[in-house]
Amino acid sequence: MSDLTIVLRSLRTRMFSTTVVVLLVAISAGLLLAILSLRTAGERAFERGTGNAHLLVSRDGSPLVSVLNGLFYANPPKAPLDQAKVAELRAAFPWAMFVPTAVGDSYRSFPVVATVPEFFSVFQPVLGEPWRFTEGRAFERNFEIVIGDGVARETGLRLGAELVLTHGSGKSREGAGGNDGDDGHAHVHEEYKYTVVGILAPTGSPHDRALFSDLESTWILHAFDRFERAGTHRDVTVADLTDEDRVVTGVLLRLPSRDPSSAPPALVSQYDRLRRDGSVTVAIPSNEVQRLFSIVKSVDVLFLAMAAATLVSSAVAILLSMVNSMSERRRQVAILRVLGASQARIFWLVLTESTVVGLVGAATGVVICAAVLFVATRWLLGAHGIVIAPELDARSAVLVAMGTTLLAAIAGIVPSVLAYRTTVARGLRPIG
Amino acid sequence: MAASTTSPAPGTGAPALEIAGLHFRYGDRGFELKVPSFTLARGEEMLLVGQSGCGKSTLLQLIAGLIDPTSGTVRVAGQDMHALRGAARDRFRGRSVGMVFQTFNLLHGFSARENVLVALLMSDTPRSEWSARADALLASLGIERVDALAEELSVGQQQRVAVARALACRPALVLADEPTASLDPENAANAVRVLRDACRAQGAALLVVSHDPSLEPHFARRERLAGAAPRQHAGLAGDGGPIHGAHAP
Repeated sequence: MSDLTIVLRSLRTRMFSTTVVVLLVAISAGLLLAILSLRTAGERAFERGTGNAHLLVSRDGSPLVSVLNGLFYANPPKAPLDQAKVAELRAAFPWAMFVPTAVGDSYRSFPVVATVPEFFSVFQPVLGEPWRFTEGRAFERNFEIVIGDGVARETGLRLGAELVLTHGSGKSREGAGGNDGDDGHAHVHEEYKYTVVGILAPTGSPHDRALFSDLESTWILHAFDRFERAGTHRDVTVADLTDEDRVVTGVLLRLPSRDPSSAPPALVSQYDRLRRDGSVTVAIPSNEVQRLFSIVKSVDVLFLAMAAATLVSSAVAILLSMVNSMSERRRQVAILRVLGASQARIFWLVLTESTVVGLVGAATGVVICAAVLFVATRWLLGAHGIVIAPELDARSAVLVAMGTTLLAAIAGIVPSVLAYRTTVARGLRPIG
Repeated sequence: MAASTTSPAPGTGAPALEIAGLHFRYGDRGFELKVPSFTLARGEEMLLVGQSGCGKSTLLQLIAGLIDPTSGTVRVAGQDMHALRGAARDRFRGRSVGMVFQTFNLLHGFSARENVLVALLMSDTPRSEWSARADALLASLGIERVDALAEELSVGQQQRVAVARALACRPALVLADEPTASLDPENAANAVRVLRDACRAQGAALLVVSHDPSLEPHFARRERLAGAAPRQHAGLAGDGGPIHGAHAP
């Protein structure tokens, strides 16, 4: 027998209301935790997507758009970089990584990234995590294509499968059965069939939902269009390519660095030097992701505020539940006072009761949230190959649990004061 | 039940209860209670009879230190109850005064055993003694279902548990407020017997207040607190003068 026993027995006598309030607190705490976890997962997913590139050079309108288009494949970049500019960039510094990319074609709405073979050897989709192939290999010849894990899951494409691409971001005939896509200029290049030679392991980044081929194949498609516009229908080969065809939409750069995880000292100076060239847009991908988070932070805060408001309302529910039970509690308090309990002890007993409700509710909320996230993580991995699913952050869980318990304790102050002030004689009146 | 002996059972040391010049005025109802002098020796039993509203329960609350008198002193086992403040008074009450109520006022949701243990928890009784003392008391009162919830027990068993709880801390004084009001005459006699036997076994003085005159034969010492009607004085012949409970004009 202890004071806690009295508290637990008191809660047990009001089992239904106790259970309802505990569940309410649990749902509120779980909701808040889920939002925090989703936010963390979102940040991590974006941070993963920037990979190991220190810089991204393009001709997009702004550095943020450049990163969204060049690394997250939000939209096909409009303005390309020509070979002269690419050569100039290559010669500007002894880069540790120089990977040009051309984004613009698509397959069933999945973006196709035309790039160089080094994309798979020196570029890392996630910092410290190189590419891994589930099956096959990187492309070695023209019209060989590698597909991301998400593409493989959603399209069912396997090694050796053949596909045709859409110039633009529309859907190909093969994929959706449609002729043109959502891009007014999109058209399918059935003349050139690509063969799947590799399937990438999931990375938990936007690269999972992309296809990767060599630059020359993409340039051949562009050259074919050039000939078509000129009224000439012919098979195009590498020999037909001109500088007009050999364009890219971005260049991923990495400076030499002893510590792969930290930015090298030369990054700032190179960034400034490149920015002086007004014909290109230079972005530090990790900085742009942070900038993006700061932009969406207000929405983020709104969600958190809503969850916090739900938590406060659950604290109010605790208060109401306890105040509503005062007529019954008054008798219990009077008995305890007769048995020798001081007013202060009564105050703490009632306060402990509300705190226990908060603590149990918070713990239940954490367990529910963890269970839901565990199931969601497995489901996302199994069904969609998403590696970075929301995971329960221990620090957030402890903070939410502590905050919830504190709120519950605060909610218990009013009923505690009422119990403290209970008149013993009134509480001992015969019932009925 | 046989009537008790007429001789008081003197205790050792200070009397279980001493009241001197007690005056309590309850403002908004114009109620007044006066006890010039009153003593209950250790181990003594007494019945205080009076009609409803005459101030019996108020007197018990004054003795237990649950309310403060307008003037006068109440000493329990030699300690001036109202000289103690706050938690000290509560602790002293828990240790020295046991109370039994008309509706028993057992804690719902607690087992019979836990109801007794709560009394020990609120006192300064060493924890090592709790279990043995609670089990012995309940056994002596014939409670076998010690782990049954209080509300699951019969009325008679609940009354016994209430007695066990009142005696758990070995108090000098047990106050019983209408302990037989909800019982038929046969069960009322049994209840009084249980209460008296238990108090005797523990050496506790017993003060029973009741509106039921049929209890008078069971007590050698008995007093009447009369005059409950408004604007009438009531009197009870204490050992130093009348006890008055009345609505003041």
